[in-house]
Amino acid sequence: MKTAIAVNLEKISRMTNIGIVLLLVGSGMTGYFVSFYFHFLTVFFMMLVLLNLHWRHGQTSHALLSNFGLIAQFRYIIESVGPEFRQYLFSSDTEEKPFSRVERAEVYNKAKGMDSSSAFGSLLDFDHAEMKLRHSFYPVDKDAVQPFDVAVGQARGIESVYHIKHPIMISAMSYGALGQNAVRALARGAKRAGAAMNTGEGGYPKYHLMEGCDLIFQMGTAKFGVRHEDGRLDESKLAELAARDEIKMIEIKLSQGAKPGKGGLLPKEKITAEIAELRGVPLGSDVVSPAHHIECTDAESTVEFIGRIQQVGGLPTGIKFCLGRSDEFRELVKEMKRQDTVPDFITVDGAEGGTGAAPKSFMDDVGLPLFKGLPLVDQILREEGVRDRLVLFAAGKLISPGRQMQAFSLGADVAYSARGFLLALGCIQALQCNRNTCPVGITTHRANLEQGLDIEDKAVRVANYIEALHHDYKELLAATGSITSSQLCEDNIYIPIRTVMQRSDEEAS
Amino acid sequence: MKHRKITYIAQGVAAILLVIASGMKFIGHEHSIAIFEALEMEPNGRYIIAIIELGAAILLLSSYAGVGSVLAVGVMFGAVIAHLTKLGLVVNDDGGLLVGMLLVVFVCAGYVMVSRRREIPMVGGSQR
Repeated sequence: MKTAIAVNLEKISRMTNIGIVLLLVGSGMTGYFVSFYFHFLTVFFMMLVLLNLHWRHGQTSHALLSNFGLIAQFRYIIESVGPEFRQYLFSSDTEEKPFSRVERAEVYNKAKGMDSSSAFGSLLDFDHAEMKLRHSFYPVDKDAVQPFDVAVGQARGIESVYHIKHPIMISAMSYGALGQNAVRALARGAKRAGAAMNTGEGGYPKYHLMEGCDLIFQMGTAKFGVRHEDGRLDESKLAELAARDEIKMIEIKLSQGAKPGKGGLLPKEKITAEIAELRGVPLGSDVVSPAHHIECTDAESTVEFIGRIQQVGGLPTGIKFCLGRSDEFRELVKEMKRQDTVPDFITVDGAEGGTGAAPKSFMDDVGLPLFKGLPLVDQILREEGVRDRLVLFAAGKLISPGRQMQAFSLGADVAYSARGFLLALGCIQALQCNRNTCPVGITTHRANLEQGLDIEDKAVRVANYIEALHHDYKELLAATGSITSSQLCEDNIYIPIRTVMQRSDEEAS
Repeated sequence: MKHRKITYIAQGVAAILLVIASGMKFIGHEHSIAIFEALEMEPNGRYIIAIIELGAAILLLSSYAGVGSVLAVGVMFGAVIAHLTKLGLVVNDDGGLLVGMLLVVFVCAGYVMVSRRREIPMVGGSQR
């Protein structure tokens, strides 16, 4: 269709390509006849003309550059700054991914200890399929809400039972994924608030240990820090680590929401000499963990392995996974019953999880989302009669109190968040965690970027965020008429199935 | 690997010659002054070019060697223009030494520019 102001790219590019040659001639002549200073321009245009010749005739990998030359280069330049423009200028407050500005602002405000109330109505799209918490006609008094206390390991009758005192814990992020300042700020904040923090699968948790907070040691599939060279468990190293006061629980990572069915990945850009030493890996190449523990090849061996870690560590020990096939999970639970070895906790990671570097297809297309996987796990555990022998942790975009309550209603006992805490540290969602170029110094090891992250200042924010979430937890729980989160059930949330069904009916007709 | 080695050598050679050239201009060597008088750029042009040459040399020895090579090639283009239009090939009876040095820097910096083209901002990075 012809329009009045149609852009004829071919014409414009032809004019541009001829134009720079004319400019070259013009500046050359003024340089010769007027002043030699004009030859600065001559040189500039000469290089531009040469570059343009290369684009048009000397390369074959970019059809646009080959056909149109210089003018097409603007497409690449503009495209490269697109994400920043969209984030700052053109995206609405509710449509950014993975976290919208509204969601992030709530975390920022909580972390800074500022008022996070808003006015004149919600900015969310209420006609859309969104879950809501159902409140009660008869809310209880906030002071009547029982103090949060989840005991892990109690059902097994071990001595080292760990009591979780906050509804939120800091999820697994290793030193390696994060820089040392970020790890220490999180650990100091956790210590101050009295919350637990997961070490991630980064080997010996040197920086996590520095601040003295309660730690959950995560053992990934590569067992960094507690491995023999062939990748098998080094029991003495694990026992040594577990004997430390700060280590309260051990989490065996079977899979992860960001890349279910695939091992952890640390890009080579982020591997410093220190990280290589803490993990026992070579410098200069990506570190890819195996997709599963060498010891775990079926339900039987997996449960045996869990039992072995419980024995060696002597601590509450659990497993973490993103649910794939529920029949396999049921088989695993049956095997637990057969061997009478039940983990002390299970962490269900939603496929929306995302602090890890992961291949795009794994991040986008593999694994069940939390609000699908969590109730399935809860249900299978109940049906098999082992639900009361363990504690259920949930992870996957649980950065706001509302979403955490929804997770509690779907079966979780404690919520885990990683990215929520990154936002509390000042993350601006630049989406560069895998490149060692984090502009706010969180997921980088470059000293010039890390210096901007003040440990003490950010530790205060982390503690504020934990306290604010705990505060909102109590208020929301009181609104549902419950005094403890274990009273919550699926009836406490509204799942807009009807809306979804109506929509599909309409689409069908 | 061999390419890397040649690139580093080319960076070093170009940087050394550029430092010598800019030094001559900064201290006001009589040959430099004569050249820039012929170009009617004395003394401002001499200092401007000296600063650019020194900057290019420093960049060539840093992790921004790609940018440095572009600057060096640019200055050498300017020098070529000067010799072709105003100065001639033999300057101050040097038997073409200056033009020879110029060509060495030109070839070295040009080699660095081509082998490090991916590191040049705007031009190289965005099309990967």
